[in-house]
Amino acid sequence: MSNQLRRIAVIGGSRIPFCRSNSIYANKTNLDMLSASIQGLVDRFGLDGEQIDEVVAGAVTSHSKDWNLAREALLSTSLSPLTPGITLQQACGTSLQSAMMIGAKIATGQIDCGIAAGADTTSDPPITFGRKFAQRLVKAGAARSGKQRMQAFKGFRPSELKPVLPANGEPRTGMSMGQHCERMVREWNIPREAQDQLAMESHRKAARAYDEGVFDELVMPWGGVTRDNNIRADSNIEKLGKLRTVFSKSPDATLTAGNSTPLTDGAAAVLLASEEWAAAHDLPVQAWLTASRTSAVDFVNDEGLLMAPTVAVSEMLQRTGLSLQDFDYYEIHEAFAAQVLCTLAAWESEDYCRERLGLDAALGSIDRSKMNIHGSSLAVGHPFAATGARIVGNLAQIIANAGSGRGLISVCTAGGMGVAAILEKD
Amino acid sequence: MSNPQFTHWRLDYDLDQVCWLTLDRAGESSNSLSREVMLELVEIVTELENNHPRGLVLQSGKNKSFIVGADVREFDQVSSVAEAEGFIREVHDVFDRVEALPFPTAVIIEGYCLGGGLELALCFDYRIAANIDQTRLGFPEVRLGIYPGFGGSARSTRQIGGFQAMQIMLTGRMLRAHQAKGLGLVDQLVGPHGGLRWAARRAVLSGKKSRKPGLVARLSNSGTARKFLAGQMRKQTAAKANPAHYPAPFELIDAWEAFGNDPRKMLNEEAVRIAQLINGDTSQGLRRVFRLMEGLKTNGKDSGFKARRVHVIGAGVMGGDIAAWCVLQGLEVTLQDREMKYIEPALKRARKLFARRLKTPDRIAGAVSRLIPDVNGEGAARADVIIEAIFENLEAKQTLFQSLETRAKPGAILATNTSAIPLKEIAAVLENPKRLIGLHFFNPVAKMPLVEVVYDSSTEPEEIDRGSAFCNQINRFPLPVLSSPGFLVNRVLAQYMLKAFQIHRERGIAKEAIDAAAEQFGMPMGPVELADTVGLDVGLGVMNTLGGSDAAADAEVLKSYVDQGKLGKKSGEGFYKWKKGRAEKDRSAAEDINLESLGKELLQPYFEECQACLADEIVKDMDAVDAGMIFGTGFAPFRGGPLHYLEQINKSPEGQEHE
Repeated sequence: MSNQLRRIAVIGGSRIPFCRSNSIYANKTNLDMLSASIQGLVDRFGLDGEQIDEVVAGAVTSHSKDWNLAREALLSTSLSPLTPGITLQQACGTSLQSAMMIGAKIATGQIDCGIAAGADTTSDPPITFGRKFAQRLVKAGAARSGKQRMQAFKGFRPSELKPVLPANGEPRTGMSMGQHCERMVREWNIPREAQDQLAMESHRKAARAYDEGVFDELVMPWGGVTRDNNIRADSNIEKLGKLRTVFSKSPDATLTAGNSTPLTDGAAAVLLASEEWAAAHDLPVQAWLTASRTSAVDFVNDEGLLMAPTVAVSEMLQRTGLSLQDFDYYEIHEAFAAQVLCTLAAWESEDYCRERLGLDAALGSIDRSKMNIHGSSLAVGHPFAATGARIVGNLAQIIANAGSGRGLISVCTAGGMGVAAILEKD
Repeated sequence: MSNPQFTHWRLDYDLDQVCWLTLDRAGESSNSLSREVMLELVEIVTELENNHPRGLVLQSGKNKSFIVGADVREFDQVSSVAEAEGFIREVHDVFDRVEALPFPTAVIIEGYCLGGGLELALCFDYRIAANIDQTRLGFPEVRLGIYPGFGGSARSTRQIGGFQAMQIMLTGRMLRAHQAKGLGLVDQLVGPHGGLRWAARRAVLSGKKSRKPGLVARLSNSGTARKFLAGQMRKQTAAKANPAHYPAPFELIDAWEAFGNDPRKMLNEEAVRIAQLINGDTSQGLRRVFRLMEGLKTNGKDSGFKARRVHVIGAGVMGGDIAAWCVLQGLEVTLQDREMKYIEPALKRARKLFARRLKTPDRIAGAVSRLIPDVNGEGAARADVIIEAIFENLEAKQTLFQSLETRAKPGAILATNTSAIPLKEIAAVLENPKRLIGLHFFNPVAKMPLVEVVYDSSTEPEEIDRGSAFCNQINRFPLPVLSSPGFLVNRVLAQYMLKAFQIHRERGIAKEAIDAAAEQFGMPMGPVELADTVGLDVGLGVMNTLGGSDAAADAEVLKSYVDQGKLGKKSGEGFYKWKKGRAEKDRSAAEDINLESLGKELLQPYFEECQACLADEIVKDMDAVDAGMIFGTGFAPFRGGPLHYLEQINKSPEGQEHE
């Protein structure tokens, strides 16, 4: 390996259409969807039988039997079985983080190509027994005699059979993401109308993107579905305004089903490579991955749970010497419309930027017309681990179609982390 | 262990001394049991009998396709009953030897496992199937005028009981993997992310054997049960197929009734009966139908055209059903009409079709999401195929296509479903008239597999290919037809129906008799019932265009019906009264009439018009005429097509007498 760092090429992405949970993908598993999205990449770029240096992928809502998800998923595709699969998970940042790690290995010359992917389904939750009953089963399994087996069930109560569903919230705070976001809304004073407006725009932009054929290369029909079924082309402020709030009964509550992402099933994948590998395989480079940063905030001690991207982006800009305005595109994952608006407000706030980010001045405003130009998670949906790869593939395609440009990616995750990256092309 | 090289098979021995036998037929994209393949199998079995491996696993070397059956093309080379019987007994012998191999055997089934392929699989101790969408098991032999003759009738009845096995063989229906497992045809399912190879290895190393059929299944093979069930089966089959025209299923029922509890006797019956059937007219006719179908499917095969989105304009009976069918094939379809209220009925009908065909809620929901109502016609700009199915008015179509031409994608197919208006006239207003083709579907779209791909002298040949490729993509059979009144199918049918009306009007012969005569000949439906089904208003339109002066009197009759609102099936009354989708017929009216000679009279104009179409070069050749009439009207398939039938009777001494 040489001391020279190489450029990281994003060849392009592929995903299956996303569906609201318990709708059309109700019977599909993470394994089904993840292998379908990787196969989509194989079909798009002619990688049949090809050995990829690494597939790095994961799922947030995962069954224990899927402990080797990435490897098992790729074995069900037509990639060479000599391809290793690494299962990685960082909540909603999963597939963006995978892309970043693959990128780093490409840059250092350790690998020449890699696929970053992610899948999630909340229609197929891993439901288990509670710890007490599970322990009894372990003891019974280890028992050598009938008497010992009986001993394992001493003191058994039927209530122990109550199933444990995966919790959709922060283990440490006992609050859901939405409840945390309501707190952020109070801190940053984000009006309901602004949230609904952002949601509406996301739906309209996504619908228009489908109509213009922008997603034709990115979204491969699968499971009988040809487009994300959450998108509402006719989304409007009046309808959104009528929805009741879902995370709080307080009259000040603002988050609704319309301005929060729905529970979604889906998967996405993206192919990264070195310049040489791309050339050798006759594949054009859509964009270069030139910077990335992961950050975390102290949400346990009252920092906003979903504010970490403000830190990640700030640190990344400092290291690259770019300003917040030096971008043609912004892909900001819409976990909630409110969270996006809090992020933008934070960057515009002198106080926040000086005190929290340690900067001399506010980072400033972004040109909203450059943000999520084809819609984002509020419209297309958010299968947790898939969103990173979706956004990378999306942005790379936008830059490739324009011929050149620079885009900023910002993704917030559960556990108070943030992941940011820059894609660009001259 | 020796590892001799075969052309179509491969033997590999692994670490455990298990023999992996792979069938990968040379020069073919799918595996079928040709004579060459079977001869090599004999050698392989001899080798295995002399050198026992630890176990044997059979698998296919074709991607997601096991074995589709015997090689149908070879059936035609069989020149005598004796030769056929000899070949069948040879296959029985080698299959018996496979079954008798004294070590564990297992078979891996992925994709199509039909006919002879399933029969071979039934000789193995343990059957493992891939539970994927492409896997299908079944016995389609009745569709070719025979029944399973490689031991299938003996082994399937023994394995899963007579009742279930007979159902599968009589209907020719294809089972999915989990259905086959439920019946006991298959012993183990492996999911899409499972390891077939390892499951097979485990099965062989632990000597797994198929489960014996349960009590009920075994009882259905007993003498008393067989007698009763055979009677039921005869009744049910006769309701669908005339024994005189389709002898094979009845031969199977007879064989099973007599010998169903004795596999060896069933094998003997196969050899004797199928050898007869294969040389019979019906099997020859049906094999011809199979070849005609394959022939139609080659149209457009060189075109790489593939559609993702279709835009249909006109949500009426045809437009709505065309849209629904395309959605069923996986495409995204935008359906346009003037207002939402005209599109609603089509959406409702579509949902019923999806529920019937797709069964599971998620697949139905997927289909519903792919059928998009589009009042503003926005889908036209994004579609790969645009199909116009509005009312038959030249100006309206011209205006529409002029507008479409400006909006459509450069590579999109522009097609009209018109039955009555010449292609040239619609195309006249276009900038590029060479681009327009006709895609003429038949009613009901979901049941009639034929599409007439209409072109005229100026049409760009590439567009005809692309249109044909699209038809194949949506699992319809494309038949290129020159633009001319009635194209092929309606032109022939018009003369056929006209003759029927004339006979009815001039000689007062009851409509039931006319229909019965046609059905006795082998038509699925008589001409009067057909007219009611198509719609007397449609029939009147066709008559006015195609009938000529001879038709004036009959056109008057039709007009009087139409004026009274008697449009046929769709309005509840036409020539017949219709109730619950069935015509109410007075069967007694068909007595005392020589149906055979009446049938010949009725069909004569049908045949003559077919010959005229051939002479006018409306379609490529005789096969195209026959294919069109079989798949577009259901012309008695067992007769192999109208022109083929004429050829046969002219050859036979009986036919020559008539000359």
